[in-house]
Amino acid sequence: MTTSNTYKPLTDQQVEQIKTQGCRADDWSAVTVADGFDPGRVHDVHFEGSVKIGSLAGTVTSASGLDRPCGIEEATLINCTLGDGVRIANVGSHIANYRVGDGACIEDVGVIQTNPSATFGNGTEVEVLNEGGGREVSVFNAMSSQFAHLWCMHRYRPKFIDKLEAFAKAQADSARSDTGTIGSGAKVSAVGRIIDVNIGDAATVWGASALVNGTILSTDDAPTLIGDGVQAHDFIVGEGTKVTQGAIVAKSFVGQGCQVGKQFSAEGSLFFANCEAFHGEACSIFAGPYTVTHHKSTLLIAGLFSFYNAGSGTNQSNHMYKLGPVHEGKLERGCKTGSFSYMMWPCRVGPFSVVLGKHTRTFDLSDLPFSHIEAAHDGRCMVVPGLNLSTVGTIRDGAKWPTRDRRMGQLKRDRISFDVFSPMVVGRMINGHDRIKELIANTDKSVDTVTIEGAQVKRVLLRGGVKYYRSGIYTYLLEKVVSRIERAVEQGVSLDKALADTPGSAYSEKWVDIGGQMMPAKRLEDLYADVESDKIADVAAFEEALDTIHVAYADDEWAWVRQAYKKVFEADLDAFKAEDAVKIADQLLTDQSKFLKLILIDAGKEFDTVTQVGFGQDGSADDVAADFKAVRGEYDTNKFVKQMKQAVEDLNTRIEKLKQALAVCA
Amino acid sequence: MSDTIERVKKVVAETLKIETSMIKDESRFVEDLGAESIQSVELVAAFEEEFDIEMDEQGALGVKDVGTAVTFIEKHL
Repeated sequence: MTTSNTYKPLTDQQVEQIKTQGCRADDWSAVTVADGFDPGRVHDVHFEGSVKIGSLAGTVTSASGLDRPCGIEEATLINCTLGDGVRIANVGSHIANYRVGDGACIEDVGVIQTNPSATFGNGTEVEVLNEGGGREVSVFNAMSSQFAHLWCMHRYRPKFIDKLEAFAKAQADSARSDTGTIGSGAKVSAVGRIIDVNIGDAATVWGASALVNGTILSTDDAPTLIGDGVQAHDFIVGEGTKVTQGAIVAKSFVGQGCQVGKQFSAEGSLFFANCEAFHGEACSIFAGPYTVTHHKSTLLIAGLFSFYNAGSGTNQSNHMYKLGPVHEGKLERGCKTGSFSYMMWPCRVGPFSVVLGKHTRTFDLSDLPFSHIEAAHDGRCMVVPGLNLSTVGTIRDGAKWPTRDRRMGQLKRDRISFDVFSPMVVGRMINGHDRIKELIANTDKSVDTVTIEGAQVKRVLLRGGVKYYRSGIYTYLLEKVVSRIERAVEQGVSLDKALADTPGSAYSEKWVDIGGQMMPAKRLEDLYADVESDKIADVAAFEEALDTIHVAYADDEWAWVRQAYKKVFEADLDAFKAEDAVKIADQLLTDQSKFLKLILIDAGKEFDTVTQVGFGQDGSADDVAADFKAVRGEYDTNKFVKQMKQAVEDLNTRIEKLKQALAVCA
Repeated sequence: MSDTIERVKKVVAETLKIETSMIKDESRFVEDLGAESIQSVELVAAFEEEFDIEMDEQGALGVKDVGTAVTFIEKHL
């Protein structure tokens, strides 16, 4: 938004000219113009109140992509300030109380108006997770997923919550204005009604039905699109986001790099970086980064999600209550729900788990990440702990998320920890491993199933759970230590120095996932304290503190790895010797190779004869294989399979190289 | 060998909840006996318990029928 013009009154000659071009004004002295104003470009315009007009020279690109002459035609302008190089044409009713930036193009609109004391969606109370309230978040333009997560979820820290509420209120108050903004280079076309909406630089609003009380954040490097048939009320939409194709957005915040469309309906919900929502419905959800729902009949309600993929017909219910909707669900990062899966809240699903079937019992499987969770015919929850650790899906998801970050601009509000294996998730695996071992020790062999936090496990599968988790824990810890040793060898740093704690790092056994950002619980405790003591006194300082925590992730992770290594292997990294390094390098080679080979076996399932059922339509048995090969390719030439095989080879080479280097050092 | 076959069939029958008489040496777990994907994991776990062995998962998950299961298990005994 520029428009830093100095405006001066029209000359008598200019007034006469534009009068002859069908223009009228309640008070011509209130119509002022910038240097270079061309009266020949103003036709059939009614001016009311104070109207300031820029140079109107040249052409501007319209929403449809055509270059059109700058100027004002067939419009009523009330208390508006227009920058240079603007085009306004065919305004059905009026544009009132707006600043229009340089190079903006507004065509074929019904009404654009700002009412007194508008806040443009800021301060809208969104009833997240609970339609009946209690976790309301008042949204504001600069809100990050971390801020929203803490405000929504940590109500057990009332003093902290009061402060966050005050920060948010200050943000909403600062957005308050009698005048709205249409940013520089913005294109607004074929829109019925825009009331109390700020539109950022370079945004395109084309074909929307009605936009009321909202902000469309947009920048030159991350332009935002609001498209056909969109109805949005009480909203904020982030930079680089597309809301299109008849989407309905009400009392919702849609963050950066999101896509919402194909008649999706969102109410009382928060969506953060890179979410995708098509066809279905969201009601009172917290959609953390990379929450994805693509299909009709999918209702996400009263739940917390992130890095999530909803299968078609996924549904939950929060209605088993008498005094209002109290039930909530938590699907921790990386979960998937299969087609027509249903969960009766409250439930808690551990990270990277898959949920299938209709679940009508409450369960809490937070400490069993990577689990396969399937409903029995009677709605009981049956779990296979850790089964998804070595599946193709988990590995592919982990690789794809960082490459699919659609946030194009420099400003990225949400901090995202992408690691699949992290102290938070591996810590849960350690908890799960210990819990299952305890169950094995205390369960007689005559028992068929055992209950674990509301879910049931076939007793014979317990041993497998221990093996899966042990494999994941070992691989993670060994990889972290070995890669540190590799760096030390390369840089000529001594082992004891390389394996020492990093000064300033923070250690907690427990790690937390705050809206996609993982951190040790101690960092969060410090943040609470700094906010509660007013050391952090506004949103900017709060976000800066979260940035600092984000930067410290690797050091904090190492502090955790050191302690976990001691606990798991009963060995102290402070007393580590070169011969120990060789041993753990060999162990990593064994464990990680086995892990990668399990993934290859899982990939192989997608090429077996059962998978080929459905191929070779109208052909012979030979045609089945030929058709499958033509459509899906072959195992040996599959890109993912080749990558995994290469990873096994690379690991061998890497470990051999390290062992040689260690021998030289010795 | 025959003892192993009978014990394998007993485990398969219990795990997949089918009659032992339906299980032939050449029966494939998925196509012929209707095992779901998750039941292959359960079968491996049940074989391990029945024979008190730890099976190499890479190989075990590749076993598709009763006959190869028997051969595989006998290698681990």
